[in-house]
Formats: sequence, C-alpha cells, structure tokens
Amino acid sequence: MPRLTPAAVAFPGSSLAFRTGDWRIERPEHHYRPAPCHAACPAGEDAQAYLAYVELERFREAWETLVGANPLPAITGRVCHHPCEQACNRGRYDEPIAIHHVERFLGDEAIANDWPYPVRPVPADAEEVAVVGAGPAGLACAYHLLREGLRPVVFEALPEPGGLLRSAIPAYRLPREVLDAELARLLAAGIRLEAGRRLGRDVALDELRKDYAAVFLAPGLQKPREWSVGGMTPSDLHAGLDLLKEWMEVGEVPDWHSVAIVGAGNTAVDLARVLRRAGVPEVHIISHKAIPGHGAPPEDTMPAIPREVHQALEEGVQIHEHRGVQRLILRGERVVGVEMVHMKKLPGTDGRLHRVPFEGTEHILHVDQVIPAVGQVVDGEGLETILEGRGWLPADRWGHFDGQQGLYVGGDARGDHGTVTEAVGDGRRAAMAIARQVRGEAPPQEAGTEPIAFERINTHYFEHRARPRERVVPPEQRTDCREIELGLDGAEVIGEGQRCFSCGNCMACDNCWTLCPDSAVLKVRQEAAGGDDYVFDYDFCKGCGLCAHECPCGYIDMVPESA
Amino acid sequence: MTESSHHPLRDHQPRFQGLDSGHRACQGCGEALAARLVTEAAGPDVIVSNATGCLEVFSTPWPETAWRIPWLHSLFENAASVAAGMEAAMRAQGRDTKVLAFAGDGGTFDIGMRGLSGMLERGHDVLYVCFDNEAYMNTGVQRSSSTPHAAMTTTSPPGRERMGKRHLKKDLLAIVAAHHIPYAATASVAYPSDLRKKVRRAMGVEGPSFLLVHSPCPLGWGHDSALTVQVARLAVQTGLFPLVEMERGSVASVMPIRRPCPVTDYLKLQRRFRHLFADHPRAREELEHLQALADHNIEVYRLAGEEPDPLDTEGADTVRRGGMRYA
Amino acid sequence: MPQALEGSQAIARAVALCRPGVVAAYPITPQTHIVENISKLVADGELHCELVSVESEFSAASVVLGAAAAGSRAYTASASQGILLMSEVLYNIAGLRVPLVLTCANRAVSAPLSIWNDHQDSMAVRDAGWIQLYCADNQEAVDTTIQAYRISERLELPVMVCVDGFTLTHTLEPIELPTQAQVDGYLPPYRFSRALDPMRPLSMGELVSPAYFTEVRHTHHVALRGALPEIEAADADWAEVCGRHSGGLVEVVREGEGGGIGILSIGSVTGTFADAAEQYTELPAARLIRLRCFRPFPDEALRAACAGLSDLVVVERALSPGAGGIVGTEVRAALREMDEPPRVHDVAVGLGGRDVPLELYPRLIEVARGEQETRFSILDLEPDKLPEEVR
Repeated sequence: MPRLTPAAVAFPGSSLAFRTGDWRIERPEHHYRPAPCHAACPAGEDAQAYLAYVELERFREAWETLVGANPLPAITGRVCHHPCEQACNRGRYDEPIAIHHVERFLGDEAIANDWPYPVRPVPADAEEVAVVGAGPAGLACAYHLLREGLRPVVFEALPEPGGLLRSAIPAYRLPREVLDAELARLLAAGIRLEAGRRLGRDVALDELRKDYAAVFLAPGLQKPREWSVGGMTPSDLHAGLDLLKEWMEVGEVPDWHSVAIVGAGNTAVDLARVLRRAGVPEVHIISHKAIPGHGAPPEDTMPAIPREVHQALEEGVQIHEHRGVQRLILRGERVVGVEMVHMKKLPGTDGRLHRVPFEGTEHILHVDQVIPAVGQVVDGEGLETILEGRGWLPADRWGHFDGQQGLYVGGDARGDHGTVTEAVGDGRRAAMAIARQVRGEAPPQEAGTEPIAFERINTHYFEHRARPRERVVPPEQRTDCREIELGLDGAEVIGEGQRCFSCGNCMACDNCWTLCPDSAVLKVRQEAAGGDDYVFDYDFCKGCGLCAHECPCGYIDMVPESA
Repeated sequence: MTESSHHPLRDHQPRFQGLDSGHRACQGCGEALAARLVTEAAGPDVIVSNATGCLEVFSTPWPETAWRIPWLHSLFENAASVAAGMEAAMRAQGRDTKVLAFAGDGGTFDIGMRGLSGMLERGHDVLYVCFDNEAYMNTGVQRSSSTPHAAMTTTSPPGRERMGKRHLKKDLLAIVAAHHIPYAATASVAYPSDLRKKVRRAMGVEGPSFLLVHSPCPLGWGHDSALTVQVARLAVQTGLFPLVEMERGSVASVMPIRRPCPVTDYLKLQRRFRHLFADHPRAREELEHLQALADHNIEVYRLAGEEPDPLDTEGADTVRRGGMRYA
Repeated sequence: MPQALEGSQAIARAVALCRPGVVAAYPITPQTHIVENISKLVADGELHCELVSVESEFSAASVVLGAAAAGSRAYTASASQGILLMSEVLYNIAGLRVPLVLTCANRAVSAPLSIWNDHQDSMAVRDAGWIQLYCADNQEAVDTTIQAYRISERLELPVMVCVDGFTLTHTLEPIELPTQAQVDGYLPPYRFSRALDPMRPLSMGELVSPAYFTEVRHTHHVALRGALPEIEAADADWAEVCGRHSGGLVEVVREGEGGGIGILSIGSVTGTFADAAEQYTELPAARLIRLRCFRPFPDEALRAACAGLSDLVVVERALSPGAGGIVGTEVRAALREMDEPPRVHDVAVGLGGRDVPLELYPRLIEVARGEQETRFSILDLEPDKLPEEVR
C-alpha cells in the first residue's frame, strides 16, 4: 500500500508500474514479406534488399547482396526483360523503380572496382560436380555450388565461356568487354572451366555421372527447328540463329536488299537489328503475335523483350504483327517473296485459342531472302540416351531430370522458358538441390510466401517522383556495335534507392518509433538501418494499430492476442 | 519511488522522453502522441503548467506520473496564468528554463480564453500548446467552441431539427495572432517533423508563442484507433485544418497542399460526421458547407501549392531509410 | 521612528521588506492602493520583483500559485468579488500546499453592489484551507504580513491577511516600519521543498482516487491545526525582533470586571469598542477579546480568553443568510466545552460599510444583560427603512 506523499506529488518513472499492455487484444508483429520485385525475379534477386544499400550509397554491400542470387548482374542488367519492374508496387503509384539499371550499375561498379565475389574457399575434400555448358545457367550453377562449398567443373564445347551470351546477343546490347570482364571475374572466384570439351565428342555423360557427385546439364538449344511453308523450304535457307552467330563471329552477312524474318522472339528481333546495322535496307519481321505495349494479352504478345522490339522499330525494322506466312513465292528455287495473311488467336468452339487466318487479307511481300527464326531444340549429341527423341530435357523446378538421381537440367534446354535470367535462376536452384543431395538432405521446398500487396504500402510517406530517364543513342547513330543504352549514374541510382517502397521490409524510417502514443516501440540502435531495428515493448503496447497503419512498408501486422 | 523493472532498451532511447509509457490514454490517443512529440522537441529544461483534462487525468493518477519534467496541474482555466507566474518566477530567479502551458481546446478556446489572452498580452516567455481534439473529451464528448461545424457531440447531437453543431469552429489562431505575439502556429500529429520544427522555433522565441496541435480522439471522433494519424493527415490535406505559422500577426508560412482531398475523405472515417452521409438534403447541404469551409481556408491561407514543395503535404513526410527526417 | 503612512502604503512597504520575487494583482477597491504602492516601489527601484498586472483576480491567484510553485516568494491582494473570483484557485493553492501570502482588503460582496467594508468576502472562503489572520490596525497589518510569510513558508500553507477595507487601507496612522535587516533576520530566503525544478522533476496536482482523497484532506486539516502554535511563535519571535506583539491567536485587548461581560470582535472594530469603553465609564467594563486567528480556529486560546465570563457578545461583520452568524456559531460551539460556559450572544454589525460608532457599545452591554441569549441579530438594523412586509 503506497504511503501518501506530501501534497500527493509523484515522481518520474512511476507510471512504468502500470502495465498498459494488459489492454491489448491485438499485438503488432514484424512480418517480413517478399517484395513483388523479389517474387518476380527469375534469378531470385531481392531487389528490395539491395536497393536498401543503394539508398545509403553502400554500393559494395548492395552488389554483394545482389550476387547472393545472381552472379552476372552487369550482363542481366543489360539483357533481362526485367519482370521485376512490371511487378514493382511503385508502378501503381507513379513509375516502377528502374531496377535493371540499378542492377547493371552495381555490376559495372563491381567490375570497375574489382570487388571479389562473396565466396569462401572450397574445402580440399569437397565433392566435385560436373556442369555441362558455360552459359548463364551453367555458370550460375557453378557459382552457387562454390557458395555451397562444392567444387564445380564446367565443360564447354566452345573455346570461350558465355554460351548464347557470346554467340547470340549482339554487342550493342551486351558489349563484349562487359561480358568478358564479368565472366573472367566469376571464373576467377574458383570455377574450373574445361573449355573446348564437348559432350559426346570429348566426354561422355555416363562418364560424368560416374565420376562426379552430380551432373548439371545446361547445353542450351543449338539446333534450329525444322521450318517449311506447305512443305516447301528455300534452297538457300539460313536459320536465324545461325546467321546471328555467323555475324557475331565474322561480322558479315550476305549482301541482301530486303529480308523477311519469320518469328517473334529475341532471335528474330536481334537478327533484324543486326541486319539493319550490316546495311540491309529493308528488314521485315513477320509475327503471329502483337507488338508489345498495345494492350494485347501477354499470351498473344511477341515474346521478345518489349524494349528491344521498340528499339528495332526505331531503327527502321518493319514488323508485321498478327501475320502468318501462307505461301513462299519462288523463282526456281530462290525466294522472291512471301504471301502474308492476317491472323489472330481467337477462342474456338472448344473454348481454346486457335490461330485463324482471315481470307481476303493476303498480301505479297517482295523480299530476296526469308529467314526463319522460329526457335531451336537441344542438339542431341552426347545426350541420346536421355533425350529419347525429344527436343528438350524437361525437369522439375529444382532441375531434377525425370527423377533421375544426380542429374539436373537448366537453361533453355529445359524447353519451358528461354531467358538469360531464368537460366541463372535454374542454375541457382539446381545448385541448392545438388548441395542438399550431396549432404544427404531432403530436397529443397518452395518458400511460397505471397509477395506484399500494393494496398499494404502507406504511399503517403512517398513523394511522387519520376523515374530517371535513361540515355539512349539516337536511332540514326546506331550504325555500329556500340552499346546503345547508356545506363544511369550514381546519383540517379541512389535516387532509385530512395524511391523504393521497401515493400514488406523495414526501412528504419522511425515511423513506428515516432508515432507510438505509448512509447511502446523501442529502438534497438541509435542509428537504425533496417531489419530488426525496433522492438515492441508488450508491457506497454495497447495494441492501437497505429504503427501498423503508418508503417510505409507493410512490415507490421496486427495479430490477435491469444487468450 | 522506485522504478519497476522494465525493458532495458528503455533507458537507451536516442530521444528525450518527456511523457513516459504507462499513462492511461485510450488506444491511439492523438493527444498522448502530440504531448510526447512536443515534450521530446522541447527537451528537459522546461516547467509545465497543465490544465485539467484528459492529458492531465491519464498522465497523473496518484501515485503515478508519466511525466519526466517538472509538471503542475492547477485548474481547468488557468494553465496560461499559472505558466505566467512560473515564468515570472524564472525571470525573478534569473533562470532561463522555458515554461510550457498545456491545455485542451476546452481549456483554451472556452474557459481558459481570458487567462490565455492575458498571458499573451503581457508578453510572458511561455510556449502555450493547445491539444485540439475539438470537444470536451474528458467529460464525455461535449461540444466546445473548437468543435467543427456539423459535428456530432453529446451536446450537439443530430436529430430531426439539427445536423450536429450549429456553429462554426472558432478561429483561435486569428485571435491569438491578433495579440501580435512573435510566433503562433498550427501543427498536426500527422506531421511530426513539422510539429517538432515548430516547437523548436517556439522554444527559441523570446516572448509568448502558441501552438495549436490537431490531435484526433479515436473515442470522441469515432474512428479506428489505428487511423489517428490518417485522420489527422486528411484534416490537413482537405484544408479543414490548415498548417500555418504566424509571426506578429501575419502569416509567415503555410504547408501547401499539393493535392487537396475532398472533405468527404476525412469525414467518412469518423462517426461524429456519420449523419452527414444520410440520404437527406440537409446532410448534403452540410457536406457542401464543410467543403466550402475547406475551400475557403485553402483560398485565405493560399494553401494550393503551385508546384511540388519539399515542405508540402506530400514532401513533408517523405520517409528516409535510417529515419533521418525526424532527427 | 514612526511615520505617518496610509494603511495600503504601509502594507506595500511591508511586502517589499519581505523581498517577494513575484507580485500579481488586479485592481479592486479597496485593495488598489496596495498594488499601486507596490508598483511605485518597483518603478522607483526600491523593490526588485516581477510585477504581473493580470487581467483578473483569477489569474492573480494563478500567477502567484505558479510563481511560488516555481520557487519564488509571491504576493497578491484582493477584495470582495476578487476574492470570490479567486475562490477556486484559493482552494487549489491550499490543496497543493503552496506557501503564499494574500492581503484581503475586506469588503462586502455584491449584490447589491457595495464597495464598503465588511467581512463577507474572507468569510466566504474560510473553508478553502488557508490560514486567516484579521488585523486590528495598520501597524498590525505590517507586522502580520511579515509574520505571515514565515508561517506560510514553514508550514507550506497559504496565509490570508485580512485588513478592513477603507477603515484600515485608506487611513493614515503612525507606523513603525521595521528595518530590512530586522526582516531579513526574521524571515529566511524563500525555499519550497517541492519547487518545480528540471533538475529534480516531480508532478504536482495529481488525480487522487477515493482510496486516498480522505487521507489528503485529513493531512491538510492536521497541518492547519498544527499551525496554531506556529502562529503564536511567529508573533512572539517577531516581538523579540521589534518589540511589538500582534495578538497571537486570540488577544484580550482590555480586561473587564471579573465574572462579567465579554465582547468578542474581529478586525478593526475592536479598537472602536476599546475607545467606547473608555468613554462609557458608567457602564460595567466588558472584557474586550479580539479573535486574530480565525483559521485555524483557536478553540483552546479562545476558552482561556473567555474564562470566568457570564456573557459573551460576538460582534461579527458578516452573516450566513438563513442561518445567522458565522463567527458566533463557531465560538458558541467552542465554548460549550468549558465547565461553565458563558452565554453567547451573536450580533452582526457594520455590513456593507455601515459605520460602527462608539454609541453601539451600550447596546452591546444591553444585549449581554438581556434575559434571553441572543442567538443572532443584526444589531444596527434600522427597521423603519424596511418595507412593510419584512418589518
């Protein structure tokens, strides 16, 4: 029983005896949720996490965070179609964060400063894993194997690593010096490369499976698909990918006046742009699908990267959307033109989409060359025993091939996706699965947390601010192989870090600490930086929910108190 | 008095804690938040004179107190006069400890008006802070002269003949500014950086200064306790509670509203305005009336920002990693 | 060396000698001359204090409350309506146990409006928890003011020094002003144990639940009862400094004939009765008793002063309409504990400034000799002036 004080005064600190936490029926809790950019990245990058460092101008930590998932940011920052930006919550407020520019900037900074990859030395007795193919999937897998403490050995048919990065992506998109520098640095992290050793010719699959703890196959798609129009093929048929590779290697193409490329993927677009640069005056692309960006549904939109399609248009490539080739017009065995017809995917009586040609819309396009760019399949050499006549090597999400122990597949050879970033993701996931297999652990499980919704972001705390405009070489100057997108500078990149909503993750803004009427949020450190920098003092938290509502990032959930 | 055991981090918070935990304010109390922010910014070298009201009752049920600064509650209507006496004492003793007066809108707009006016007129070096929750909350939500037009309180209930409060919210800032004091301002719990900046500015003023802090009352206004800041923010963004600074009777600065919100955004969150959303011509008329009052504020105080301003309703609270904006 | 000073001026000088840090007041007749004189002392540089000219008595009381709580000796003065306007604050000051001195220049309370003297104002706040000392003359007002600060600060209780409006405040008398050294030697510098100080923060004016409110009130009552010896000691100690007594708790101004009549009064009328007793030598000499201290109520001292009396006439300057006398009721209750209590006759005189002439004395004797005990009457009522229905 307290004794009366003179004139009933009271002294500081005495209110702490009264625990208002008893009033609570809901408690605030910190709940991390992946940002949409993270959930959308095929390579598994957590852009939100590295943007946090970027905002603080801590570029090296940002890069180290980034390469925790993707070891090739200078490359993917240039060639990825960045689904992260489509998913970015900021896109619903003003404009999405220019994530690919940040990624690229960090990759370039790492090269310029020669920051070593965050890889620990592999133990002497580490298990060895064979990786077939030094493309993005194979190299990503090798890198993550290293990070898992395993020893990768990469077999590559060609004399240099890179796969289609080197053979099929033109330098105006991916400068050779960037490619060389990033790959060289990555290999230097401890990846043994057996260049010039081709599967089937120099080394047998069975041998690899016998000698190594696991085998990761990432051979890519090297064989053009069969192509004909009504059973006819021109005598001087060039497959698109072959032409592209040829130009990349020798820098020359035949002296054509006008060319029609049939296809809608990146190969078709790259080839069209290469031909324009090589001086072909008229380059056409004939696509079943729509040019991106006009509201067509994704399944009816050209699969090529939209940005590349638009740059191709800028450069004078003519794209005929929703068209099919109905007939080849031959003079003898030589092509002199194609007959196109309007077609569209429409739901049929069975409810499924069918491509329907519209009679009466036929049109003749006079060209002196038709080039199919309709895709490739796996080159069967050395893989006959497992390919079984298919064009692809199907695998589950973790790369397990057909349930066969110790055999994993990634990259384009899987046949279910075809971008560089997806290939990087394949390599990373397979490495995780391999590491668990080697350690005798159960296969990895999908995390499966829903990304945080836009509605959970308190946008009041973010000022409207435009995304920086990238500098691009004007179309009339795009005559050689110089890179045409020039990226962002450091200040612009930091600005993007500031624009980031930090979806689902604490950004240490102090809102909860500042706005709690009960001082029931305590700061862990003097200078907060994000993460677990605040704790709830449940002795006093009354559960009003103010902190959760005012958290800009949706990092605080109100959870019912159990009785 | 011994302090009971508490979280060890409590003793290492990088801010001055003028109002401690363990006070008995309702969940989401805007006044508790405002008082904490004000005392934080004012610092420890102060003496407080506090009027009767929620703030006094929830902070000091004997034998407890949530205050860590010297604090005295005398009566409902004399916070300003008691503060004036404290200030005179400081002057007599040659000390420069700043005297603060805290009161609610009842203790300021109504019953404490005389004492406030006298204190301002005599030029006491006192910062008077009115925590404006727009009704007599401590006695159970009765209308005050600060209650907004058309708001429901227990003494301005809507009914067949009435649409809530018949009269307008008193323009206290203009009355205070008419005393030609060095500094008078409005602030809101929704804009803590702005609030603290104004407290610091007032602390630096020699002579009387006045701060009217809009402090939502979840219980009295009838909104979810989690929405206290949101409601306060909308009061500002609609123009119903303009944030302005006045020096010697003239407007010195305003917080521009970059994108004014319709008043209904603000009103619909609160039970005290629920009757205005009835399908009735009088209700519609009063909604238009409140919109006109907001528009009038925007016009009179020139709140419509022409271009983005770092200190406008959008820029003022842009978060930064590491919380630097509140430093 | 006495000087001829107006009562208000003398009180102002006494206040100045106590070195107050803060003086706050609002003008009201008949208190105005006190604050005017203090203002002049400040203007002339003879008194260094913060003079706060407030906008109401409510604020005057609030300002001195704030000042005293914040560690400065403070002073205010008022009267009549001003005292009543202050009344909420007066209770508050006492409950907070803040040391303060207030001069009440006693005046009637409106309505009807009257600016003249009676005791209705201070009597209205007798239960506020203050010490109330009533002065017989201006010399006493000076000395009591100085004593009041010592009492107040030692006990942490506020003291109201009551002086009759006009009768004392506006009359010239020869006054012996103490020296500054005498006052400084008697009254230590102001110190309040709960002074508000950022170095030692505390909260005053808390909400107290029913579980403790009774104990707070009891403590206050005990403190006021304990003030009785302190008031006597303050007077005795001051007498050692300057040789003047101010009357302690209860003063027997003039001894009467043994076993006879006593007249008890309060304030300056006592002097009138002393003069009358000198003049009406044919009448039996009444024992003249002055109640100097009304709060706390000095029961024991009063009984001692009344020992041996057969009749006591209480002359008071206020009333509780519908009940009767205020002082008389309390005196009657106190004397009931005597072995042979006198009859107590209770009369009010001099309301609203009505002159209390020497000629009233024979009527008081008459009342004392009456067959019946006079429970209460207004002695100087002039029935002819009344309308028929209340005559």
